[in-house]
Amino acid sequence: MTTEGPAPGVDPINQVEQSALPARPRPIHPSLVMRVRGRPVLLRGMRAQPTGIWRWLAILGPGLVAGAVGNDAGGIATYSQAGAQFGYELLWVIVLITVSLAVVQEMSARLGAATGRGLLELIRERFGVGWALLAVAVVFIANFGLVIGEFAGIGAATELFGVSKYLAVPVAAVIIGFLIVRGGYGQIEKVFMVMAAVFLAYPLAAILSHPNLGQVARGAFVPHVQPDAAYLAVLVGLIGTTISPYQQVFQQSAVVEKGVARKRYGPERWDTYVGMAFSNLVSAFIIIAAAATLHATGNTHIDTAADAAKALQPVAGSAAMALFAVGLLGASLMAAGVLPIATAFSVAEAFGLPKGVSLSLRRAPAFFTLFLVVLGLGAALSLIPNLPVFQFLVGVQILNGVLLPVILVFMLLLINDGKLMGNLKNSRVYNVLGWVTTVLISLAVGFLLLQQALGLFGVKLLGGG
Amino acid sequence: MAMLSALLRYMLVDEQQREARLYDLAVDLSAGDYPPLTDALVRQSRGRGLLRLPVPANVAADRHRRRLCVEDLAAAAAPDPDWLAQAVLLKRDILDAMVVDLRERMAYRANDLWIEEKDGRYVLTAVDVSFRAIIRRVSRGRIGDAPPRLLHDWRTTEFLRGDPLAAEAGRDYHRLIGRLPAGEIANLADALPYLHAAELLMLLPDAKAADTLESMMPERQLQVFEELADSRARRLLSLMRPDIVADLLGRLEKDEARYWLEHMPALQYGRVLALLRYPEDTAGGIMTNDLIALPAGVQAGAALGELRRKLGTPDFINFIHIVYVVDNPSDRRLQGVLSLRDLLVADEGKPLEEIMDPYVVALQPNEPAVKAARSVIENGLPALPVLGEAGELVGAVTVDAALTFATPAGWGRRQAPRLFS
Repeated sequence: MTTEGPAPGVDPINQVEQSALPARPRPIHPSLVMRVRGRPVLLRGMRAQPTGIWRWLAILGPGLVAGAVGNDAGGIATYSQAGAQFGYELLWVIVLITVSLAVVQEMSARLGAATGRGLLELIRERFGVGWALLAVAVVFIANFGLVIGEFAGIGAATELFGVSKYLAVPVAAVIIGFLIVRGGYGQIEKVFMVMAAVFLAYPLAAILSHPNLGQVARGAFVPHVQPDAAYLAVLVGLIGTTISPYQQVFQQSAVVEKGVARKRYGPERWDTYVGMAFSNLVSAFIIIAAAATLHATGNTHIDTAADAAKALQPVAGSAAMALFAVGLLGASLMAAGVLPIATAFSVAEAFGLPKGVSLSLRRAPAFFTLFLVVLGLGAALSLIPNLPVFQFLVGVQILNGVLLPVILVFMLLLINDGKLMGNLKNSRVYNVLGWVTTVLISLAVGFLLLQQALGLFGVKLLGGG
Repeated sequence: MAMLSALLRYMLVDEQQREARLYDLAVDLSAGDYPPLTDALVRQSRGRGLLRLPVPANVAADRHRRRLCVEDLAAAAAPDPDWLAQAVLLKRDILDAMVVDLRERMAYRANDLWIEEKDGRYVLTAVDVSFRAIIRRVSRGRIGDAPPRLLHDWRTTEFLRGDPLAAEAGRDYHRLIGRLPAGEIANLADALPYLHAAELLMLLPDAKAADTLESMMPERQLQVFEELADSRARRLLSLMRPDIVADLLGRLEKDEARYWLEHMPALQYGRVLALLRYPEDTAGGIMTNDLIALPAGVQAGAALGELRRKLGTPDFINFIHIVYVVDNPSDRRLQGVLSLRDLLVADEGKPLEEIMDPYVVALQPNEPAVKAARSVIENGLPALPVLGEAGELVGAVTVDAALTFATPAGWGRRQAPRLFS
């Protein structure tokens, strides 16, 4: 569009500079031609929906990122331990659990989109305050354990660099607390995400360690349960770290925050599926890498971060330690930043208390107290001297696994409520998958608890320790 | 007198000493500021279904022995399903529901309800939103039974069920929410879950609902819009500013957008369509075309008359601070601008071309939006006109649209940083 000089009455002195204008409007996207009231119209103001491969990438992108960095300190510890102690024998759990995880996470997302509210809030609304208290207690205990674990991870990572954890952990806690409350955490989080992306080295390490493919296949596709107490414990730990109660609450709240409308839920589903599949793929690689490097050389127990770092040697050689430390630090910082505030948010939501970092301590006392308690006490407890970091991390994941069935049952009951969900209610297939998952996990957990309880009386149900 | 949680543990006893367990209480929301009790839902000791018993609002209560004394329990009968659906029950509908305190402009959950005697009747007077109420309920009154400190007066409270259709069906609600300014209601709507926000919107009269929808954050606007009934959505679209309607439709799927465009009144349709022709990151994408444009030869007095007439129509003009003076209504070539103030103080007989300022800073529709926004803000005027190829007036970028576009993302009105996504 060229201009023929200033329009009549337009002051030549004050007129806005025209030379910077584009010569012609940008080309019209073909899909933006619509027939309205019988006439075709060109509507460039409509958001052009990306087509073809770009459409898929736009949907899958966030899921992939979430999956790649979803492994926190507890995850790394548990997967490494599983690989180190049992080689490829527990891979089948990951394979089976991917289906369960996809189903469960998708249900969380669907609950969030259909109701616009968080899980704990829904439990309170539908089942009353008594049950809400139970759910809150479950989530709180599970999350609190995780927070301690994350700070322990931060401590372990910094010690690999030679910085004492008694210095690093309080500093990290203070900085995180400050950033969350004052704002600015969002930008820093991106830095942590980049650090945690280091763990994408695990697939590479798994390949470079030349694992016996036959054994890998057998471990992955032939389920077998060893009658071994330790095996059962790590199995429950794997379940707990892959489908943690925290993740269900978080996923639902994320969908609510994103503002997904009921009628637009479709694409969200694929985002979830892909994210979970990718995340589990990385987890499987961690197990393979640990099995190929540690189990194969007889290091069946991981006590320190240095031990776990050895799994990365095929990729990084002598820099494995540093690489691992960077990844662990990034992943732990990310989780330590989000978990306390997310816990406070969910609990406040359940009881209808005022919440939000933009409020003051006076207006939202319960919310901020919860946040500071979880953050501060979590950091403090992680500094307990001689805390066996990696065993503690695995233990917390086992605890998560034990608490998981409670959350799953609540979710399944809610998602079958037609009045609540409308046309997003659970289909039969989903119900079957969901309930089968819950029952199997409950059986595993029940067996574990029974075994521990009887063990107190000296009765050994299973061999091993 | 008592908290609902305590009251629900009472028994009903009649003159023949028959007993029944109190299950729920119905109130009449339309009867004044504080709704009185009207009925009780009881469960006979023999474990049969729920029965409805009308109770007088001045029913005798024995606090000590935790009883309500009624005349005759035999009068209790199975409730009519229609009545049950329409009635407002304290435990089923209000307890644990979302309540909006209109004075504080905040949303809470009703953790407990306070029922008091006023003028010889038992009425619902306040809502307890504290955590203590939770403890009280879970401990069955053993802890925290002292009179509560922090209550929200029912007079300034609106309760929401989270069901947009409930408001649509004309159930008995306060309609106090309509008294708040639209921006505040939009703030509230952004803080509530989206179904509650949609319900809140349903409680408003059309004009206010349109204003509120305009002020909401884009994601929330879309979510709420999709929950509205067809007829209401159409009415609101015709009352909203065309540039905001264009933004909203631009975010919908093509077919949905077409549906709404085809069902719009002609004038609004023309305006919205004209705006949708421009990509969203250009001046055309952020301008509004709902303007006052008058011919140059018109006299000031007549111009004011015309203005008054236009403002009185249902398609009322939104942007009135600047009057654009054009050569004639069909060509609409811009001759000059004058402010509303100039028009009001001018001599009635003076033609507009003598009052106007002929030197105008103008924008082009294909200019990058950021540049246009900055020009508007730097100029200090309420708006800058956007001229087409032949110098015709196609729209104006107002300073509020410019501010929305130019401020950094982290500066939003309600700074709720994202925690989960």
